[in-house]
This record gives sequence, C-alpha cells and structure tokens, in this order.
Amino acid sequence: MLDIFGTMNISASGMTAQRMRLDVIADNIANAETTRTDEGGPYRRKNVVFQEVLNKAMGIRGGFTNTLSTDQLGGVHVDSIVEDQRPFKLVYDPSHPDANEEGYVQMPNVNVLREMIDLINAQRSYEANVSSINATKAFASAALGIGKG
Amino acid sequence: MNGFFNSNFSTLPAALDAASTRNTIIAQNIANAETPGYKRKEVDFETYLQQAMGDGDGLELKKTDDKHFQKYPSSIRDVQARIRTVSDTRITNDGNNVDIDQQEALLAANTIRYQTLSRLISMTISRYNTVIKGVR
Repeated sequence: MLDIFGTMNISASGMTAQRMRLDVIADNIANAETTRTDEGGPYRRKNVVFQEVLNKAMGIRGGFTNTLSTDQLGGVHVDSIVEDQRPFKLVYDPSHPDANEEGYVQMPNVNVLREMIDLINAQRSYEANVSSINATKAFASAALGIGKG
Repeated sequence: MNGFFNSNFSTLPAALDAASTRNTIIAQNIANAETPGYKRKEVDFETYLQQAMGDGDGLELKKTDDKHFQKYPSSIRDVQARIRTVSDTRITNDGNNVDIDQQEALLAANTIRYQTLSRLISMTISRYNTVIKGVR
C-alpha cells in the first residue's frame, strides 16, 4: 500500500520529466538557427526519452499470485536526451560566413512548428499531473474528515 | 469487529483502499502518458466484490487438498484491489496506450467515489455514536 505522499511523488516525477522536456524544447527553439556548436557543424535537435520507474523488479513472486503492488510504482524519469539524426536543412545564402563553395548553409534540423506542438503537449501533460496532485489532496482531506461528524 | 459492527464496516475501508490504489495507478498512468512502450494499468475491485457477494459466474473450484488453488476471492473479507496491465491495445505509434482524457475522467470519478465512501464511513460511525449516547 503506497501512502498519499508516494502518489504525490509519482505526479511530481511526471512534472519534473515534463519540465525537463520543456527545457529541451526551449533549447531547440533558441538554437533553431545556430550554425556553430562546440562539436562543430550546426545545432542538432534534441529529444527526451521517458522511462517508467518501477522500484522493484516485476514478476519475482511468479505464478498465479503475481500482481503488481502500488509500492513498486515510482512514476517516470527522463532516461536520456538523444540527438535527432535527421539531415540538416540546406539554405542558399552566399553571404553567410558558414556557406560552402556553392553558397549553401547547413541549418539545424529544428522545425519550429513541430517544437511549438511539442511545447503544447508538454504543457498539457504537466497540467494533467497537477490535476492528479490536486485529486490526491482531495483524497487526503476526505480521509481526514472521517469521523468528524 | 465481527459482533459489534455490521459487515459494511469491513467492506467500506476495503473499497476506500481500492479507490486509493486506483488514484495511485491513475497518477502513474498520467505520469507515463508519453513514455514509449508504456502500457496502461487498471485496478479491479468491484468485479471481485460482486463475485464474492455471489453475483459472479457461480463456478467453484473443486478442492481436495488445502494446497490447491483457491478461487479468488473466497469471501467478502478477502476482496482486495488488484492491479492489471492492459497490454493488448495501442493508441500511439510508440506502443503507448494511455488516453490522457480518459484518465482525467477516471480521476474525477474516482475522487467523487472516495469522498462518497469516506462520507458513508462517517455516517456509519455517527449512527453508532447516536446509539451509544442515546437521543435526549
């Protein structure tokens, strides 16, 4: 049996993960036209990879009685931040200092429209986690009200 | 609790526990709404309770030894919430099957259920209080 704070921790982990996603999206938008990076070449779009957190290995008990218990649930975490391997955009701009001999500049593989959609998605998911925390708070106050008359 | 309190008094906390478990499960589902390959979890309680109350399929397991599997649940007192993973559907390309709107609706319904159950427990307690104190 997981306590009320454990449930809140699950929602909090969801909020942390979504905020990290927002950070990455902000980084992508800010660098949508960056042609120089430390690694050389233009900026590559970054993406977060979420992973479910289970505190204990599943299926230890085995057999017919193998059911998941709530203590095992730990929410979500950002497993890694990966770089988008899609090719860079080529833009014709001979005046640009990073242009090649034909006058083309390699621009980051960031699609700002796509980032805005991801941004809204992350925001909605964040809000869903907030409403989950509010529901848990309502549970706690209902439980505290038992027997008050 | 057997003699003094009626049978409701043992079923109500179990139902309250089930609602609490369901809340945790919904929180987990919402937190993992965009985790690739994550499968939605659900809580079974009401169907088990109905089975224990005799509204189920009516099939019994024959037991000739104590170590044989017992049908779950064997009595109303044994009924507990069980978590199940729904793994046979998918909604998005990455294999996730959490519908966040559905989870939000379940969350709202579950909160109302929990508040109703806790109110019922309070009312049961206050009935006993009335009996103990008497009406003057």
